Amino acid sequence: MSETENKPLLDVENLTVRFEVSRGGSWGKRSYLYAVDDVSFTVKRGETLAVVGESGSGKTTTALAVARLVPAYEGAVKVGGTDILGLEGEALRKARQRVQFIFQDPYSSLNPRQRAEAIVREPLDSLSTKSEAEKQEIVDRLFAAVGLRKEQQRLFPHQFSGGQRQRIGIARALATQPELIICDEPVSALDVAVQAQILNLLRRLQAEFGLTYLFISHDLGVVQHMCDSIAVMYMGKVVEHADRLSLFNNPLHPYTAALLSAVPSVDRARREATRRILIPGDPPDPVNMPKGCRFASRCPVAEARCRESAPDLRDVGGGHRVACHLVDERAVSPLAALT
Amino acid sequence: MTEPLLKVENLRIELKLRDGVAPVIDDLSFELMPGESLSFVGESGCGKSMTALAIMGLLPEGIGRIASGKLIFDGEDLTTASEARLRQIRGNEISMIFQEPMTSLNPVITVGEQIAEVLRTHQGLSRKAAWDQAAELLDAVRIPNPRSRVSDYPFQMSGGQRQRVMIAIALACKPKILIADEPTTALDVTVQAQIFDLLRDLRAQTGTSIIMITHDMGAVAEMAERMIVMYAGRKAEIGPVDQIIDHARHPYTQGLISCVPHIMSDLTETREELTEVPGIVPSLREFGRDQCLFASRCKYRSGECLQHRPPAKGFGNGQISDCWHAEAL
Ligand SMILES: Nc1ncnc2c1ncn2[C@@H]1O[C@H](COP(=O)(O)OP(=O)(O)OP(=O)(O)O)[C@@H](O)[C@H]1O
Ligand SMILES: Nc1ncnc2c1ncn2[C@@H]1O[C@H](COP(=O)(O)OP(=O)(O)OP(=O)(O)O)[C@@H](O)[C@H]1O
Ligand code: SF4
Ligand SMILES: [Mg+2]
Ligand SMILES: [Mg+2]
Repeated sequence: MSETENKPLLDVENLTVRFEVSRGGSWGKRSYLYAVDDVSFTVKRGETLAVVGESGSGKTTTALAVARLVPAYEGAVKVGGTDILGLEGEALRKARQRVQFIFQDPYSSLNPRQRAEAIVREPLDSLSTKSEAEKQEIVDRLFAAVGLRKEQQRLFPHQFSGGQRQRIGIARALATQPELIICDEPVSALDVAVQAQILNLLRRLQAEFGLTYLFISHDLGVVQHMCDSIAVMYMGKVVEHADRLSLFNNPLHPYTAALLSAVPSVDRARREATRRILIPGDPPDPVNMPKGCRFASRCPVAEARCRESAPDLRDVGGGHRVACHLVDERAVSPLAALT
Repeated sequence: MTEPLLKVENLRIELKLRDGVAPVIDDLSFELMPGESLSFVGESGCGKSMTALAIMGLLPEGIGRIASGKLIFDGEDLTTASEARLRQIRGNEISMIFQEPMTSLNPVITVGEQIAEVLRTHQGLSRKAAWDQAAELLDAVRIPNPRSRVSDYPFQMSGGQRQRVMIAIALACKPKILIADEPTTALDVTVQAQIFDLLRDLRAQTGTSIIMITHDMGAVAEMAERMIVMYAGRKAEIGPVDQIIDHARHPYTQGLISCVPHIMSDLTETREELTEVPGIVPSLREFGRDQCLFASRCKYRSGECLQHRPPAKGFGNGQISDCWHAEAL
């Protein structure tokens, strides 16, 4: 493998995003919700990193910060080695061409008054300096690439089905020939049959154009199918980050294990073999985070030290990173001791 | 042999459209046994919720109506029952958890009061008794500190807890049938697993029959004994869950199962393309045609599929498939 192939395309370092929240009562006192709290991860060029975690864990906020759609409070977002968080003007415009976003909701993310061709051409208009003829050629090619017909370019969003609208969203994201595409729940609003069409399309486009994906989904079956590596988030923190096989075959963080054990399965053998790990109770208040591990209140194996200090995300071997006091270099799940 | 608790016979529900009517449910028959757990699956717009609303007597007024067929509950035909009688049955014997959990609770009334109100109107309990029982129900659906949480407003609870309150309300009158329309779609999988455990335990304890509507085959496999696959207002396939998953006899069912990337326990490097079912569900306007409505998306399609609606083909094991080529599949 050459040097450039091995280097990550995206390198997120100590990213923190916080929101100011008003908590009635105390005058003038500002509280902050750390939606993304000191998060680091990398994605190799041409690969897919999936981000999973429960609702409110900070997946979308992370993605928005990487795309500079919400301001980061601290940290760096390096795309091909350049930190894009500090960029402005022309340099920012160039960087924006390299990072595009596909949204969850194919219904509201398209301008209802624009024709499909104008929607797909829009990033070219605002981010590139190509001629009209060149732009039209690109739009034609994109329509073909996402499986839409040429005559459909003239139609408006409401004249398309949900799956077709998501295809338009994908074509638009591809328009500036980006290197990194952020997909935030790209198939959650779609029926399963249409979902399969879009997932296959995303993988074909990735192979064809060498795309790198940051892929957010709450569906672990979809994640397992799409990703090369995974980051599991819990309350603003990455609690586990590993390649696809390590994470699914040897989940080490108790939250990851609980998450995987909760996925309903059509496979009877898997159902019978899976021991459900229950994590009752509520996550902590995000404005008032505990000093120890954020998962301790629901963790079936939490010990005193878990409530005392927050575990760091550490490499326990082979790039498998886990933030849990009970996981060490032997890389044994702490739940193995439970019977 | 025990009698079915609910018998749906040749049910046809018509919806009024701008230009005519469409059979949103077209000749549907099935039975539900006491204590049984049955699931409806299918893509969006196939008529799953409409079936549930018909059983509840809650079809959209002025738009939907039962055009023909019978809904026999405990020996009584609900299609000819009076509105007063339906109301009685609705609260007491059949209850439903609706698709949108966040909108089905009243935001300005405490959850305890919302449960207690059901108990007072349907069971004639006193204020005090109803309030006490509301707390007990919250405990039954495993909300911690039920005695203090009864005074919470819906916004003070998490999505999963609100859904549990919905279940508590639905269970308040010990219904014989509990209909759950996508009860966990908006929830995290870890919470979904808890709700499923809860429903399973409640069924074991009370013998309530459960009809669960979902689009997730995995959820069906976990929760139901039998399933009905709906397509464009018609039953595509019905039968025992394990058998259908092992060997579906309808191309649509096969498609629904194989197009989903199911989670695997022993993952390997290999990754196949997902099976695609091309196209989408036809529009309401096309429901009711005398042909197989799945034909435009089906790889087994032949001449007769486009000429006539396929007849139901039964198999010895209780599986029934409405497909011209069911035996060959
Ligand atoms: N603009 C905002 N102002 C204040 N708080 C916010 C804002 N956006 C997000 N949050 C909070 O930040 C946290 C993370 O939210 P985020 O949307 O990133 O979660 P998520 O993991 O994408 O969840 P979901 O699975 O529900 O989409 C949540 O507690 C959320 O309420
Ligand atoms: N109040 C209404 N007025 C007009 N049409 C309606 C109404 N409610 C539902 N429909 C239509 O009836 C058809 C069946 O709807 P139904 O709600 O039963 O679908 P479903 O299978 O439950 O789908 P989903 O998975 O999206 O919940 C759809 O085409 C829908 O648009
Ligand atoms: S009847 Fe024909 S078109 Fe319909 S599902 Fe069967 S084979 Fe396919
Ligand atoms: Mg999100
Ligand atoms: Mg529905």
